[in-house]
Amino acid sequence: MSSGPVLPGRDDDPDRLYTITRGRSRSPENAFDLVTLIVAEREPAPGMQSEHVRILRMCEAPTAVVEVAAELALPVSVVKILLGDLLETGAITARHPRFAPNKARLPDLDTLKQVLHGLQRL
Amino acid sequence: MREATSPDGGPRRRPAPRTVALTAAAVLLAVVAAPVGIGRALGAHQPLTALAVGAVAVLWLIAVGLAAAGTERARRLTEDLAAQHDETMTALVVAGAARQAETAARDGASSARAERDAARAEQARAEADVTAAHAELARLRAELDAERAETEAVRAAAEAERAELDRLADGVLPEVVKKLRGGAAVDSALAAHRTHPQHALLRAVAEEVGRGERLRAAALAVCATAAGRVQALATSMHAELREMQHRHDEEVLGDLLRLDHSTAQAGRMADSIAVLTGARSGRRWAKPIAVESVLRGALGRIGAYQRVRLHNASTAAVAGFAAEGVMHALAELLDNATNFSAPPAEVHVYVEEVPAGLAITVEDSGLGLSESWLRRAERAVSAEPLDLTTLSAGTRLGLAVVGALARKHGLQISFRPSARGGTGVVMLIPQQLVTHPAPALATVPEPVAEVARPALTSARPAPVPLPLAPAAPVVPAQAAPAVPAPLPPAPARLTESGLPQRRRGQTLTTAAPPTAAPAAKPVRTDASTAAARFGAFRRAAQQTATSAETPPTTDTDTTPDASPVTEKDS
Repeated sequence: MSSGPVLPGRDDDPDRLYTITRGRSRSPENAFDLVTLIVAEREPAPGMQSEHVRILRMCEAPTAVVEVAAELALPVSVVKILLGDLLETGAITARHPRFAPNKARLPDLDTLKQVLHGLQRL
Repeated sequence: MREATSPDGGPRRRPAPRTVALTAAAVLLAVVAAPVGIGRALGAHQPLTALAVGAVAVLWLIAVGLAAAGTERARRLTEDLAAQHDETMTALVVAGAARQAETAARDGASSARAERDAARAEQARAEADVTAAHAELARLRAELDAERAETEAVRAAAEAERAELDRLADGVLPEVVKKLRGGAAVDSALAAHRTHPQHALLRAVAEEVGRGERLRAAALAVCATAAGRVQALATSMHAELREMQHRHDEEVLGDLLRLDHSTAQAGRMADSIAVLTGARSGRRWAKPIAVESVLRGALGRIGAYQRVRLHNASTAAVAGFAAEGVMHALAELLDNATNFSAPPAEVHVYVEEVPAGLAITVEDSGLGLSESWLRRAERAVSAEPLDLTTLSAGTRLGLAVVGALARKHGLQISFRPSARGGTGVVMLIPQQLVTHPAPALATVPEPVAEVARPALTSARPAPVPLPLAPAAPVVPAQAAPAVPAPLPPAPARLTESGLPQRRRGQTLTTAAPPTAAPAAKPVRTDASTAAARFGAFRRAAQQTATSAETPPTTDTDTTPDASPVTEKDS
């Protein structure tokens, strides 16, 4: 699944998404957004769903939801459901980055855009 | 007669009475006269006279005696003569009678002779008759023999016929039918039996069987073709759905998942028909498929998948060429299990690694199998080749499919009553289909990620990525992929020229990924990985961004130009 740069949406796995989420299509609680940082609190237990195991491995250091999604090559909404499961059992904690103080220190959007264009021109 | 013929003669012993009387009178006279004469002579004193008288009296007596004796003799002679005469007469009469009798006898003899002649003639005739009868008999016997010989011949012919028919039924017909079943044409199947006495019959039968066979083959081919098309459709729909699931957010995701589920079930039906018609199964997987994915792949193809609980701690994988079959067979077993247990009841699936391979147990808590059902199920999955005629009107297809797949991949399937009250089905996947290190899991990015670390850490101090490298010492099972046995998927998907190569059973959309694959392939540098990660990040970001409609950033963040830029960046 994670061989090479994973292309999301690539249909080369027999797992269907509804089997991964066991039929759920939206997470019950809205605890996560794209940049919520996830930190694992436990070691993966044997018999766990492999996605859960990988999330726990990945999140030994805090990782954003969107990165988890990219790494697992799963849609963000599916990852949110999986994270919801882990959060329910207390295997992870979610930290919401505090935007207000950070926003001040971040470069503004125009600067970022220029940087991007500059990169693209290279 | 003698009395009659001699009336004066008395009885033979006695003198005749006349003679006796005369004699008596002479004697009496002598007796009286003698004494008187003597007395008178003596009185006269003349002794001589007395003596003479005495002498005369004695002489008299003697003469009388002699006369009497003579008379008696004469009488006797006469009597004898008469008796002889009588005898002669009677002899004469007898002789006459004898003569008569002789004559009569002579007459009788002649008549007897005549009779004899007649009888002889009769006999001759009778003999002639007998001879004729003999001849007739002989003729009849000959006829009978001929008849019998004819019957024998007919019987022998009938025997030969019967033997021929037996041979036809025992040897020739089955052979011809077998050839026809094997796909031979009628003429070629009958080539060896062109001179067969029952050729017409053979040909009629062969043509009928051949027609049936062609019909069967045509029906199978049609079914197989249709199933193949549905399979292809389902596969491409799966690919599109997967792509859409990544493109759309959770508002649409639920609907897409439902569609995906329906498509998977339709695909399973098509797969079942393909298996039963002997066509290829749906997809080929290029890499070994982890057991968990196999289980979930099976799960996704049944209706009531939410009632199934998976209990799996195995990291083994099933060889790619067999994975689809295992999944399909497992799906059919799961479908049975869910169908035979009432809705709230759950079906449990356990995976166990055993020396012989991998044992997957499906346990339901449903009604349990009756003895006869159990036998039928065992027979359906046994080593006997599939007989389509045993399928009853579309029902119970599942076990037939399982049986066919089990035979194809050497899976062993056994049924037993479950301790939970329902049925337990054990599927044993043989060891040669099982790979343990699961090499397809996260092999390639490992070194790449290592190198990529500085590029990313510079941007973000927290050591975020590297999913497996730090985890390696923790759980050895997951560390196993670090063994450098990797790269089977990459060369399989790309040709030397870097162009994507379409696998069988894969759609072109999946085989030809948008843009990042060529970018990622040639140089697996830190930059390319970073680019990929960056792209992934931005795609994920874009997803939410488009839904939230935040214009300025997403406008510039078009995915296609992102990867080339970052690649050039290196």
